[in-house]
Amino acid sequence: MPTLKIDGREITVKDGTRVIEAADALGIPIPRFCYHPGLPVAANCRMCLVETNRAPKPVPSCHDFCGDGMEVQTATEKVIEARRAVLEYILLNHPVDCPTCDQAGECDLQDQYFEYDHKPSRHAFRKAHKPKARAIGPRVVYDAERCINCTRCVRFCEDIAGAPQLRQIQRGEKAYIDVFPGTELDNPYSMCAADVCPVGALTVRDFRFKCRVWFMKGTQSVCGECSRGCSVRVDTYKNEVQRIVPRHNPNVNQYWACDAGRTAFHSFDEGRLEAARVRGRDTDFDQALDQFAHDLEEALGKGLTPAVILSPFMTCEDAFAAISLFKTKAPGAVYSIGGREDGEADEVLIRADRNPNRAGLKMILDSFGIETAPIKTLHEAAHPVVIAFGYEFEERNYAKMAVQAAQLSAVFASMDVIGDVETYAFPAVSPYETYGTWVNEFGVIQRVRPAVKAPEAAKQARRFIADLAERLGAPLGDASLVGIFGLMTEEIEEFKGLELDAVGPFGIKLWEDAADVEAETDAGGDEAEPEEAAKESGESNKTDSAEEA
Amino acid sequence: MDLTFLLMTLLKIVLICFVFAMILGAILTWGERKLSAVVQDRIGPNRASILGVTALGLMHPIADMLKAFTKEDFVPAGANRFLFAMAPMLAMVPPLVVFAVVPFGPGPDFVIAPLDTGVLFIFAIGGMGIYGATLGGWSSNNSFALLGSLRAAAQMISYEVSMGLNLVGIFMIFGTVSLSNIVLGQGQLLWGWLPMWGIVVQPVAFILFMTASMAENKRAPFDLPEGESEILGYNLEYSSMRFALFFLSEFVEIVVIAAMAATLFFGGWQIPWVDPQGTAGGWITVGQVAAFVGKVVFLCWVQLIIRWTLPRFRYDQVMALGWKYLLPLSLLNIVATAVVLAML
Amino acid sequence: MGKLVDRPEPDVMIQSYLPEVWNGMKRVSKHFFANLLMKKGYVTIQYPEQKIDYAPRFRGNHRLMHREDGTVRCVACFLCSTACPADCISIVAGETDNRDVEKAPVKFEIDHLRCIFCGFCEEACPCDAIRLDSGEHRVPAFTRKDEMSGKEDLLSRGGPSISKQGGEFK
Repeated sequence: MPTLKIDGREITVKDGTRVIEAADALGIPIPRFCYHPGLPVAANCRMCLVETNRAPKPVPSCHDFCGDGMEVQTATEKVIEARRAVLEYILLNHPVDCPTCDQAGECDLQDQYFEYDHKPSRHAFRKAHKPKARAIGPRVVYDAERCINCTRCVRFCEDIAGAPQLRQIQRGEKAYIDVFPGTELDNPYSMCAADVCPVGALTVRDFRFKCRVWFMKGTQSVCGECSRGCSVRVDTYKNEVQRIVPRHNPNVNQYWACDAGRTAFHSFDEGRLEAARVRGRDTDFDQALDQFAHDLEEALGKGLTPAVILSPFMTCEDAFAAISLFKTKAPGAVYSIGGREDGEADEVLIRADRNPNRAGLKMILDSFGIETAPIKTLHEAAHPVVIAFGYEFEERNYAKMAVQAAQLSAVFASMDVIGDVETYAFPAVSPYETYGTWVNEFGVIQRVRPAVKAPEAAKQARRFIADLAERLGAPLGDASLVGIFGLMTEEIEEFKGLELDAVGPFGIKLWEDAADVEAETDAGGDEAEPEEAAKESGESNKTDSAEEA
Repeated sequence: MDLTFLLMTLLKIVLICFVFAMILGAILTWGERKLSAVVQDRIGPNRASILGVTALGLMHPIADMLKAFTKEDFVPAGANRFLFAMAPMLAMVPPLVVFAVVPFGPGPDFVIAPLDTGVLFIFAIGGMGIYGATLGGWSSNNSFALLGSLRAAAQMISYEVSMGLNLVGIFMIFGTVSLSNIVLGQGQLLWGWLPMWGIVVQPVAFILFMTASMAENKRAPFDLPEGESEILGYNLEYSSMRFALFFLSEFVEIVVIAAMAATLFFGGWQIPWVDPQGTAGGWITVGQVAAFVGKVVFLCWVQLIIRWTLPRFRYDQVMALGWKYLLPLSLLNIVATAVVLAML
Repeated sequence: MGKLVDRPEPDVMIQSYLPEVWNGMKRVSKHFFANLLMKKGYVTIQYPEQKIDYAPRFRGNHRLMHREDGTVRCVACFLCSTACPADCISIVAGETDNRDVEKAPVKFEIDHLRCIFCGFCEEACPCDAIRLDSGEHRVPAFTRKDEMSGKEDLLSRGGPSISKQGGEFK
């Protein structure tokens, strides 16, 4: 446990901590290009030079370990001059095509030029020309002129994605990054290689020229592509999702997210259910709900038991509200969980279960003591009344068959996937328009926040349930997010003692199990970030309470 | 009542009311715009043309009229449709009726109805002008229009009092209320050389009369009922020809005021020292009618000049002027006239 | 201490108002007769036929400048729409065949109903692509659609720019 002084401030750190991590923990800014807390250290950009009492020359702080009695100076004249010189050298052959560069606005090189150099170029010769705008992978484009050869992307592919596809080739001013001949940068995490790029050398093709970054509004949310539930930031402009970037969360996904999750938002706006429908005809939402409540009451009066198909895309609150309603109005109801079919898991992030909240649903159903019926055989029982929830159903979904077999059926979904076979269809919000919580496979509860405004007709499931409950004469009481969450903390074992506001940017781990050993928190360097992230999320929290009020 | 008399009266009505008053009123709409432009070093209306003839912009009244006729005739929801339609007519008719007793020339041939009660008839009919503004604002179902009509009613009633009292001095001097006789009386000479016009014997009354009658006409500097910058006025909801009627009635009233001022204070058809009894006939009579028309046009011009010279009063100033200055001054004027008459 | 303005109490003549009315009418009548008889001193011009020359720094209709080959200089960097206080510039960026710049506007639209002709876009532009120096006054239109200037419209007013794109040694 060495104790050292950085700029006169003392700190005790774990063995094996780098100087830059200790400085980050103290909140002392040290500029860096090649250092990334989630990647191995390369120390090749030399931007993070600091002076120590252990060496006559400035040393790279991202590489040197902390030692007992070390004294580090981060802002001496020598250091500042060294940084300026390094920056001038890095910028020597940079094309400065910021107007056309997608990174402009979130570019480390731009920021640090204004912070540490801020001088016109002294370079009076022809700049080096290298390949520009090369599509080196299906989702990533590479510009060698902008590249500063920090090799973050190389290290990412090798050590995190487990696919050593990138290499640095040539030397000196001719050096650039490339794939091996005949191959592509096509690993399932390739977009993260563009994320780690401190400049605009690697950019995402999906986002290419779509929007300038300073126009966008970021919303802290959760990815729903698999049961990992990666923390993401959904960037929107003019009520449209522009891109999704991973958000640091030591409990879940570290710094990364898979390409599939980051491009999934494209499919959520296609084929939306535009308005409530009764037997194939568009109707006013409230009117349709009146009719449905009437029909349902009649069916329940006849003693028919409904089958309720829950969706693992529902938030915990929505599912809890639905189950509490049907528990009181139809005690004999059969429950089943729909959702998307399993895919293939990998060893990095992607899980086999392609639904975000199956664990949460199971937890709630267990607390009510309900056994679920398997979705695959639900249609064989030919339930006369079927109520299906879901943001989506896959084509080979068995929910459709169950709906087809029923006399009275209601579908509450964001997408028009069942067709016209159901009696009632109600438009729901998509995962990018929803408020609530999801619990991932490893028991981390995280908050889902709306990044875009839902279409006018669409409703959140718990609002729909609350309206239905009122018409059935069994009102839920406080149907707000906070209200239902409060009920859940009373009813569900795992939720005891939780508060909605306590679910911060990293979520809360509800239980420990063997499977999440790999998700063990990353050592050091992160201590400063939770606060920072909490600050960022402050604004979205404010809008939450406004919606819920 | 024989047919010739009826036809002659109808011809006089057409000539005086519709040819003289209405056309002069229409020309005044152009005149006001042109005059305001000229005094402000601008050119003014000069674009409307028929077959390329612009005639100094004199085609504008025709263009304005065509425009007013083709615009949407709008009645606001909740308006009293009958009164809403009546109001512009009530505003337009009284100033035309007033011309019935105005002598355009010597003798009974140049006046539609040579009433002995002349001036009293004018006051009676003129007082009805209030109804146009008041009902127009009230029936529009608009609070700003109602405010405008309230202002109009209060202002017009206030100034009517002093307007009537101003003329009492004239009646006392000439001993009659018949306009024809007043004009004849103005043919006399004072000290053998000065024409005994109203303005000579009653100069204070003339100034008070012009002030009061311009306030009566609701024009700047007394245009508070219209108050464009604050309430828009009693004609706020009017459009199309109904609005044009309100507008035109204002200009016909200018002619009425000029005609009354010419008759009462400028000797009517009298040309100084020429044929004071109006019995000469021939070219002299033509000249006398022309003299009357010329005096009317000059007094119209004076009113326009005043309108483009003076800024607006505040509403409280308008009421204070009417009750605290004009009314006592006209009473004083009567007393002074009586004293002078008694001493002579 | 502010400057004290001398405001004399109006004397009886002014307070009685009538002499001042007379003075005012004299002044107005003087202009009336002077202009009526001598036909001089009009300060207005007959607008559609006569036009005054605008100052060289007059900011009128926008235009988009050309490169040497006639394509648009704009690289869709969005700095103009970022600087725009009226939010009147809407750009959609896209790829271009010119590999030197890669990026060009697919759509470049100026909403003249919103534009306040402040010239911030001109100042923000790093490529000398947008300018307001066409010297043309913005003419009102009959429909809202006519108040939107598209890329073609803006380019038709443009011309080649003398400044070098991408710096000295490109």
